[in-house]
Amino acid sequence: MKLFSLSILHKGATKSHLLKAAYDLSSFSFFQRSSVQEFMTFTSALIVERTSHGSRASVKEQEYLCHVYVRNDDLSAVVIADHEYPQRVCFTLLDKVLEEFSRLVDSIDWPSGNPETINYRSLDLHLAKYQNPKEADAMTKVQAELDETKIILHNTMESLLERGEKLDDLVAKSEHLGNQSKAFYKTARKQN
Amino acid sequence: IKDVVIKDDAPNALILDKHADYIAAYGSKKDDYEYTVSEYLRMSGIYWGLTVMDLMSQLPRMNCEEITEFIKSCQHECGGISASIGHDPHLLYTLSAVQILSLYDNVQALDVDKVVEYIKALQQEDGSFAGDKWGEIDTRFSFCAVATLALLGRLDAIDVDKAVEFVLSCMNFDGGFGCRPGSESHAGQIYCCTGFLSLTSQLHRLNADLLGWWLCERQLPSGGLNGRPEKLPDVCYSWWVLASLKIIGRIHWIDKAKLRAFILACQDEETGGFADRPGDMVDPFHTLFGVAGLSLLGEEQVKPVNPVLCMPEDVLRRIGLEPELLS
Amino acid sequence: EVAVLVQRVVRDISNAFKKNPNIDEIGIIPCPEPRYNRSPIVLIETKLGLESWCVKFLLPSLHRKLLLYRQRKNYLDREALVDVTVTLLLLNPDFTTAWNIRKELLQCGVLNPEKDLYLGKLALTRFPKSSETWIHRRWVILQVLQQCCAQKGCRKEQCEGYLCHTEAMGSSQNLCTHQAKLLHQEMSVCSEAAGRYPSNYNAWSHRIWVLQHIAKDNVEVFLEEFSSMRQWVSMHVSDHSGFHYRQFLLQALLTELCKAPHTSTAATTLYQQGTTTTSPSACLTETRAAFGLDPSSTERQLGGGTIAQLIDLEMEFCSELIHSYPGHEALWCHRRQVVFLWHKW
Ligand SMILES: CC(C)=CCC/C(C)=C/CC/C(C)=C/CC/C(C)=C/COP(=O)(O)OP(=O)(O)O
Repeated sequence: MKLFSLSILHKGATKSHLLKAAYDLSSFSFFQRSSVQEFMTFTSALIVERTSHGSRASVKEQEYLCHVYVRNDDLSAVVIADHEYPQRVCFTLLDKVLEEFSRLVDSIDWPSGNPETINYRSLDLHLAKYQNPKEADAMTKVQAELDETKIILHNTMESLLERGEKLDDLVAKSEHLGNQSKAFYKTARKQN
Repeated sequence: IKDVVIKDDAPNALILDKHADYIAAYGSKKDDYEYTVSEYLRMSGIYWGLTVMDLMSQLPRMNCEEITEFIKSCQHECGGISASIGHDPHLLYTLSAVQILSLYDNVQALDVDKVVEYIKALQQEDGSFAGDKWGEIDTRFSFCAVATLALLGRLDAIDVDKAVEFVLSCMNFDGGFGCRPGSESHAGQIYCCTGFLSLTSQLHRLNADLLGWWLCERQLPSGGLNGRPEKLPDVCYSWWVLASLKIIGRIHWIDKAKLRAFILACQDEETGGFADRPGDMVDPFHTLFGVAGLSLLGEEQVKPVNPVLCMPEDVLRRIGLEPELLS
Repeated sequence: EVAVLVQRVVRDISNAFKKNPNIDEIGIIPCPEPRYNRSPIVLIETKLGLESWCVKFLLPSLHRKLLLYRQRKNYLDREALVDVTVTLLLLNPDFTTAWNIRKELLQCGVLNPEKDLYLGKLALTRFPKSSETWIHRRWVILQVLQQCCAQKGCRKEQCEGYLCHTEAMGSSQNLCTHQAKLLHQEMSVCSEAAGRYPSNYNAWSHRIWVLQHIAKDNVEVFLEEFSSMRQWVSMHVSDHSGFHYRQFLLQALLTELCKAPHTSTAATTLYQQGTTTTSPSACLTETRAAFGLDPSSTERQLGGGTIAQLIDLEMEFCSELIHSYPGHEALWCHRRQVVFLWHKW
């Protein structure tokens, strides 16, 4: 049961951009961590771009599940977890960090902010605390408030894409992914 | 639930000619990197390729003389056979070699007495078998020992009763079997143990209903079978699970049509061959178990396969070997 | 040209290990092209990486070298053999014959067992389910255990207390330090591999083998394992292998409790005497702690009572997991096993 990344993003008219992120990549092998981190950032941004305002979704991608909440005010968050981690705890976490973030960071800074400029420090703490859903104490309390039927489920990343659009092309074109990460993506695909 | 989704455009017809071309071409790219890293299991690789060719009635396309010469040069002083030249002998590859030569009706190419001697020497005090002289114990090796001897008609060379007791000591509360006493049940190990009990005519010592229940719980909504709870489906488990169910007379406990659809979806329409799951890379291992699985499901375009030895039934008829099956 | 490259890489790898005995992980760095005049070996802190482009030259060439040697068509001195097998096995750890060559080197004293266990541990960081690596490990461990019993430094009666069953309620104080260290090391290698690949059959069945061979009938070790598994399975609720291991421990503990009819009487008396240092009492305290039993309330119900309680507590634990994490087959399988045990006892 593992949470790998927790990110807060701003959903712009066409693109989305990262405001703050926390990662726990200790379960990945050392030389893959930087590429995995780039991919998690890339994926989180893509998912926010392809999710409409005011909605929650979960996207399956191989052994990962990406949970997203895009609020009506453009503020969005994504948590990437494994299949064991309970979905509703993820959405509780997303609600909680977005609520806290919007309280602490002025909304004027959202459209132009980036991880260096945004002063919000508790993401790492939340990620660490929620690694064990029991200790996070979210299991019992908030779950009832979440209506699970309203969460859209995508069985693959592909189902987020438009007709004719290919994940491989998006990866190849991305400016945010380094050469090593692109090579990593290719070998990871081949093994499958 | 951990499973895969079969896409609408996934293959749904059997493309046998493509598979035959794929296997025929596989052996010819010998300097390949892939070929080097898998040399440690070459003998089994050849068995997979030849068996699937035979099931598709395409065995004549393979080079019989070359393969026979290769096998002969893999038999060692001790009688055991190695995966390839220069590698060390092991029961796993001794079985594969004897299976291949049985397809060619030519086990005499080997020094058979020495093979028997080699296997006999690997049996332990408690009836178990070591895989080679270094002593690792595993129920897989009990199967290899007994299957090889059965193909050679020499089961009398070992202490069968003790061998049976050891295998039974690996049975778990769920009716399944693991690699050693106390180890977790695993569909691959279950295949080895049920096959072993079949060859030694001891199937009545199984709890067939309990085991059958566990085995048919391996089927997932996609139709594919996994090898243990909460693992992804994999074409090779269509063999390990299905063959076990066939051996214990419970093959009708799973949804055959759905499994067939899953197996067919694992074909690669461009390259030929089967992958572990839809969309993945194909290999000869999964190609054999995909085709053999379809044969157990009643596919008429391929020869009937024997569930215990994973070889064409006509070959076993020729040898006069008819392993026990429950009804 | 390839030969020069291969020599250089093998030498660099072996130097990296010499200079840095704390390397704890190996990996491949995705990098399709060589970078100008640089070694493909990268050492960052305790992590050893190899750039991916060179693997396709390195592996076939070393592979050929070793096989020619094996067919006596090519000579390699012992040092070269050691270096070649290290590199090969880190790249392709299921290459059985390469492990066998190292077994031979070990037998003639060229290699020491710790080194080989270390090599296996590194290979498992990249290939956590490599069956040949686990198999080689078991062979090396058996060599170590044999040596350990033969050695003077390790007192004989201690070894026996450890390896063989002296009394039903043994304790790890009976272990000689050598074996205790080995046990601890194997447990951590298994944990690491289990964390890297879910439901890692080979890692968990190795763990069972280790208990069966090093800590047979050592209730204290079993209890320690049992209580630490509680947290592990709670965080890996779909790992059928982890649950199977817990079931193995539970069954062993129950068998142990049954096997010792003196437990109920003798232990009760011991317990009433207050805390003593004798091992049965220590063990029972442990049992209580491990299962969260309150000493005062269970005092009167030892024996049959304890068995029922262990099963009850496991059932409760299982229910709690099923409620918190719905939809996991592994949890229901676990429940089946507990019900089975309940039925049996
Ligand atoms: C004649 C035939 C067809 C076979 C010869 C007999 C043998 C060797 C059968 C092997 C059966 C087999 C697959 C055994 C399982 C080995 C095992 C315990 C694998 C461990 O599984 P993981 O490495 O965890 O892989 P999964 O994730 O697929 O479970």
